[in-house]
Amino acid sequence: MSTRMIVGFSLFQTLAVGLLLLILPRIGRRGLLFGVYVGEEVSGGEEARGIRRAWYGGMFGVLVLSLLLGIGVETGVPWVPAGSASTLILVAGFYLLYLRAYRQARRLAAVAPPPVSAAPFDVGPQPTPLLPLIGLLTGLAGGLVAVGYAWSHYTLLPATVPIHFDFSGTPDGWAARSFAAVMLLPVMTLFMGAGIGALAFFVAHAKRAIRHPDDGSSARAQARFHAAMSRYLATIGILLTGMLAFGSISSIDVALGRATRLHPGFGVLAALLVTYVIGGIIYIGLRHGQGGARLERAVSAAPLTDGLADNRRWWLGMFYFNREDPAILVEHRFGLGYTLNLGNWKAVAFLVILLLGSLGFALLAAWSARG
Amino acid sequence: MRRDLEEPVYMQIARQIRGWIASGRLGPGSLLPPVRTVASDLGVNLNTVARAYRSLEEEGFLLIRDRSGAEVAPPATEAAAGDARDLKGELRELLLRMRQAGISPEELQRLVSGEIGSLVRRAEARGRSRGEEEDA
Repeated sequence: MSTRMIVGFSLFQTLAVGLLLLILPRIGRRGLLFGVYVGEEVSGGEEARGIRRAWYGGMFGVLVLSLLLGIGVETGVPWVPAGSASTLILVAGFYLLYLRAYRQARRLAAVAPPPVSAAPFDVGPQPTPLLPLIGLLTGLAGGLVAVGYAWSHYTLLPATVPIHFDFSGTPDGWAARSFAAVMLLPVMTLFMGAGIGALAFFVAHAKRAIRHPDDGSSARAQARFHAAMSRYLATIGILLTGMLAFGSISSIDVALGRATRLHPGFGVLAALLVTYVIGGIIYIGLRHGQGGARLERAVSAAPLTDGLADNRRWWLGMFYFNREDPAILVEHRFGLGYTLNLGNWKAVAFLVILLLGSLGFALLAAWSARG
Repeated sequence: MRRDLEEPVYMQIARQIRGWIASGRLGPGSLLPPVRTVASDLGVNLNTVARAYRSLEEEGFLLIRDRSGAEVAPPATEAAAGDARDLKGELRELLLRMRQAGISPEELQRLVSGEIGSLVRRAEARGRSRGEEEDA
């Protein structure tokens, strides 16, 4: 029953994410076509529509294939390797189709002098939203509580401790007591909770994509989008911190024999988190669009400026490089969210820390599972 | 801002802000975005924007608050003697250049009167809107 539920939930996740990826061109900015700035007029033309139609057809096929693979897992088709096959197919199909569409869109790229760059001076400073700060503090507090709880009970733990739990929260994997086995989840709580809180804080001040001239409409749309994304990430950070801290403390209690399974609150928070992550991004996509594109429709005929519009600054429409630009986070050219300015050493340092952190956690997990 | 112009970027930024202040779009006390935000929007170095803000501060258009941004300065009620002398010199030089460019003295007079009239009208409009805000 539990396996069926996991697979069913995984299929629902694939469907929701797949549908969002499918409609990305519909919620994108006018002027941009699959990571290429082609100009506002060309992006509404027949050739651009043809590229979009090919995307919809291809992406629909990929979605159907990935769902069929997911169902294959549930019905026990022997050649289906793992439950994550549907996700892998979806991600691989997405990137292959994107690169094909990008190559086609490059042919339509605007060949013009460098675009103007614009900054709105008459909208005043951007206010700093409160929720990201709360998210950051919650991440730090929750992480420290989890680390402190594990640390203070370390000597009381038995020789073997649970390191993996099934869908009902009952332990199904054990390892010898070690620093890695005990501290993995608490340290992850601290790192991820605080990290997402900090990300939410940076998103509120990410580089804006301005249209000019438009009397500040695109800047206002951007401000609303940044605030929405920032709130979204901060809430994810708070829920994730709660879930991981709950799981961390609860797993220590299970190891000590005070409980036989994880506290049900862990499962409730996990379900809430996944629902919020999927529901929230769909809401932002449909309500705001890429970078607030759906809020600035009235002025979307005004040209985009610098940053997003300058094709020379982008590689494959995905990677932004500008040494002059002090921005760390830059809006994606295709899809919702942000990417890093690889011309800024701070952004590169952030990326290196992120990669080293992920590698550290992977090694810690492998070490803890050895026992 | 245009990257293909010969005019340095910081001067383009300063010229634009000066124009907005002169046109009344940015009134006295208006807060300008922090240097980092403007530099990020424009995709230029922080120092470029800071230089534009500093030059506007020296000219009396802005008051640099702190690292958080700048504020549009209120126009001085009385010009200092040294400033008035310098500005008169600049005006004379500009008028000479315009005359040399072929603009007739009558046309010059018309242009100057038009600009002064427009400044007075803007100041009156600002005064009226401030009065309405206080009444409200």
